[in-house]
Amino acid sequence: MLLRASGQPDQKDFDLSSITDDHTDSGVDFGHWLRSLTEAAIQNRWDDLTTIRERAGAAMGTQSMVDALVVASGFNGITRVADATGIPLDENTQQMTVDMRESTGIERFNYAEKSDRYDLITT
Amino acid sequence: MSQSGPHVEVWLRIVDPNWTRKLEPGKIDGMYELTDYPLREGLIEAHEKVWENIAGPGPFWTGAERIAMVAESRTATSCLLCAKRRQALSPYAVDGVHDSETDLDAVIIDMIHRIRSDPGRLTRNMFDQVMGAGITPEQYIEIVGVVNSSVIIDTLHAALGLPLAELPTPQPGAPTGQPPANVTEAGAWVPIAVGNERPGMINGLSDNREPNIARSMGLVPNAVQLFFTAFRPHYALQNIPLELKQSQAEFIASRVSALNQCFY
Repeated sequence: MLLRASGQPDQKDFDLSSITDDHTDSGVDFGHWLRSLTEAAIQNRWDDLTTIRERAGAAMGTQSMVDALVVASGFNGITRVADATGIPLDENTQQMTVDMRESTGIERFNYAEKSDRYDLITT
Repeated sequence: MSQSGPHVEVWLRIVDPNWTRKLEPGKIDGMYELTDYPLREGLIEAHEKVWENIAGPGPFWTGAERIAMVAESRTATSCLLCAKRRQALSPYAVDGVHDSETDLDAVIIDMIHRIRSDPGRLTRNMFDQVMGAGITPEQYIEIVGVVNSSVIIDTLHAALGLPLAELPTPQPGAPTGQPPANVTEAGAWVPIAVGNERPGMINGLSDNREPNIARSMGLVPNAVQLFFTAFRPHYALQNIPLELKQSQAEFIASRVSALNQCFY
């Protein structure tokens, strides 16, 4: 939802399926480099990230490249807070994102669905 | 030329990898001194403040225990059991013992390793197991706050190609305790803060409604303060003070959420 709203000042429509589909172009400026930086940082691919930092910095500027990693690292922490507390969506978000959650596959991450999926097999 | 100060210390660390500054308890080494990448002073100060805070006693855990939680979080990234579980259809399909370097209780080690290595598959079952072992919801939330504050700091260090920050020296003292928190049941695993109790945790809110993420650790106000001190320089909901468009920041945030399978 925030990605969709953030396109309004630029009068741009972003492709929300790019959040969960690796092959879709988001339409966001330097989206390719933002995706590469983010994925390498979150997936602990530190060797790859050395090269990606260099090339992304040359393409989009060093400060923007660093700031992309700043945002990614912040969300690497805050997503774990949400995941470890099982908080529900905020009421407005819940109502406004029903279709988007279905179309992007984010509904699969619903905590109740995760429990159904992952708690079945126990030792 | 002065024989002290950060520049000399950086030089000493480069020529002698075993060199360490003698630190007073509770004080930390300067973070990000070894990088040439442009980082904002406010972010560095916030991370240093968080590191110092983790070293001190919290409401329910000692400084030594809080530092052990950070150490466990780091160990989880190379833990063999965690790696096997990530490959399994269900994390509960693989039993075993975690690689560990601390004397924290086994259920806490398991909790921390799951949060660090497989956050997308945390379930209510995991939370219930921790509660069943006698950990209180308040103790649980303090662990969540400490571990995830350190995840932010460790991720940024590694992403910039830096060695992880040295763990701080623990400060002595017993847990401080806290007065009862003002919380409510709202459908989360734990009671969360009553709305609008602690505004300002996330920059750029256009009104006074606190999102649930800012309320999620409300059982332990100290954990809220700790975590959002670390997080706040990383993001704003509008007019983001970084050299990124808001849409770029939201794309990164959304992508991280998807990679970590975060519903919220």
